[in-house]
Amino acid sequence: MNADERTVQLGQPVGHDEEVVVIVGSGAGGGTVAHELTARGIRCVVLEAGPYLKPEDYENDEWAAFNQMAWLDNRTASGPYRLARDFPNLPAWIVKAVGGSTTHWSGATPRFREYEFRARSYYGGLEGANLLDWPITLTDLAPYYDRAEIAIGSTHRHGRPPLPANNNYKVFANGAEKVGYKFYATGPYGTNAEPYDGRPASIQDGFNFQGDKHTSKWSTAVREIPRAIATGKCELRPGSQAVQVTHDASGRVDAVLYLDEDGNLHRQAAKVVCVAGNSIETPRLLLMSASALHPDGLANSSGQVGRNYMRHTTGSVYARFEQPVHMYRGETMAGIIADEARLDSSRGFLGGYYMETLALGPAFLAAFVEPGSWGPQFTTILDGYDHTAGMWIVGEDMPQESNRVTLNPAVQDQWGLPAPDVHFQDHPNDVAMREHGYSRADLLYEAVGALGTHHTPPYPATHNLGTCRMSERPEDGVLDKWGQAHDVPGLFVSDGSVMTTGAAANPTLTIVALAIRQAEHIAETLGSGS
Amino acid sequence: MAEATHESVISPRARNALVRLLRVAYPHPRFPDGPYERTADAVINQVEASLWHRLALTRGLESLDDAAGGDFAALDDEAALSLLRGIEDAGFFAFIRGVAVVSLYDDHETWELLGYEGASYEQGGYLDRGFNDLDWLPSPRIEEYAGPDQLVEVATDDEIAATEGSHR
Repeated sequence: MNADERTVQLGQPVGHDEEVVVIVGSGAGGGTVAHELTARGIRCVVLEAGPYLKPEDYENDEWAAFNQMAWLDNRTASGPYRLARDFPNLPAWIVKAVGGSTTHWSGATPRFREYEFRARSYYGGLEGANLLDWPITLTDLAPYYDRAEIAIGSTHRHGRPPLPANNNYKVFANGAEKVGYKFYATGPYGTNAEPYDGRPASIQDGFNFQGDKHTSKWSTAVREIPRAIATGKCELRPGSQAVQVTHDASGRVDAVLYLDEDGNLHRQAAKVVCVAGNSIETPRLLLMSASALHPDGLANSSGQVGRNYMRHTTGSVYARFEQPVHMYRGETMAGIIADEARLDSSRGFLGGYYMETLALGPAFLAAFVEPGSWGPQFTTILDGYDHTAGMWIVGEDMPQESNRVTLNPAVQDQWGLPAPDVHFQDHPNDVAMREHGYSRADLLYEAVGALGTHHTPPYPATHNLGTCRMSERPEDGVLDKWGQAHDVPGLFVSDGSVMTTGAAANPTLTIVALAIRQAEHIAETLGSGS
Repeated sequence: MAEATHESVISPRARNALVRLLRVAYPHPRFPDGPYERTADAVINQVEASLWHRLALTRGLESLDDAAGGDFAALDDEAALSLLRGIEDAGFFAFIRGVAVVSLYDDHETWELLGYEGASYEQGGYLDRGFNDLDWLPSPRIEEYAGPDQLVEVATDDEIAATEGSHR
């Protein structure tokens, strides 16, 4: 790549000594902050640990795509949850590439509900849960939800038409109707049903979790990052692993240290740092940034960095039918039931959950449908593959202090940096919600003639949340209502780590809305020179 | 050198036992031998990287015959399955399953046999190839509900006024 090509691809070079906004991560949060700030003329450097994959690089093949883009650096899972036994080195399934996990997100974009921003008030002192109200309300976030939906192009919103019903949705929605659910639809969903925003309509090609070759699906890799680069105010540095965020004698952030692809250490000067590495890498970076002023990790005077790790209460149900379904054809998650996404403790648990269509290919279904299983019971599931419909249950899990990301002193990544450990245990409320979801999914599928159903345990987490939560009071959390550290001026967190509680909805829309709001605040602060 | 060692330890008889083991552990009556043969080779290729796995697999496969009282490959399905259930926790069998569950179901012939069509983008997706061809159920609504009912986000008993003072 010559200098001109490099500028087109990666943006105007920024000097390492120039104090700019340094953004760690290019996914839903980081990519959005970069776009919003550069659109206002503010210079940014985006450090992305992964490569710059383009739509033509994406693979229509589950394992090939997984090996191409999944975050596979050393990590450990610990604690009593089943995942720690089945996939001890894969606590999360997230993406290491430009665009972050928006590269493989499915596309569901429900908003959080009003009560979900006030979990402590509504749920009370639920034993074992470290609940807190958010320092903002739905009213604060509503205008940014609008902007996020318009950026993403959510179907069913702002004049965007719905996607058509695919086969998996036909089973799902007919079952929903039969059991009396009303609040189902093929969205809201972040993939174009008709051409929008310079990108084409879906051709129902599936492979949502492998990167969309057709670019009908929104991701920061196809929208925010190229637009940030086009402003001339942004330099994207792929293959850059952040190692430490540093501060000056006054305690204000002043730089990010990072490794390039060859393992050379660099320092990028910063006036503001936005950390958006997803909820495992973000607290890991802060913990690795411990200093004499911050001996327990940067921004950790509350002791809450890495704690309250949430992964949503999830589970899948796969149902076999007499007649063919071909669930893998079409948009994977363009089917959402919201009837159970509400607070009604008479169901035996607090918080709510969504039901969403889900399909895996045989390769991933075999790996994840019942990890470790073999023999005729297992192969019966696979033998019914083309007659199978599937759904995902995704709901609010309870924040717990002991569910946390720490540095594992015994394990290092390929650079010699301490690997993160993800420790997790279900709260009894999580278990009750999951069981409720399984039973309602069974009823739904039985209502349309299912021959049998299988309850699949949670996958490696795709929704990782809460490890640097926002709080009104500094002693309760890591960040203020703008996502700025209570105790480190100039340090922001811009990803799902900021979430005070997890709500039921898929988090991407909310991450984008929060990032737009945060960027506006940063721009105002920098503009006023304070 | 490594190749010579591999040739000498994974004997044709051991490979044969491995193919049989895979068919018993992952029984798909309609599958021909091809997917199982390729999966067996994937297992054998994997052990080349690890002395321990190579030794464990070799010893494990050889001893299957002993456990079967002579010839594992000659056992009927039920007897072979029963034998495998008895050694479920054996390291070499767990290792085989770890590789097999990936390889067998990542095999394109397997996909075809299970009715999965693989890569779709180059063929224009499924827009004109059956993404909505399911005809045994009516066409459902795709728009959001527009009827008279409202989703009740918070049940009456869970309103803050109703729960104030209570400690769950």
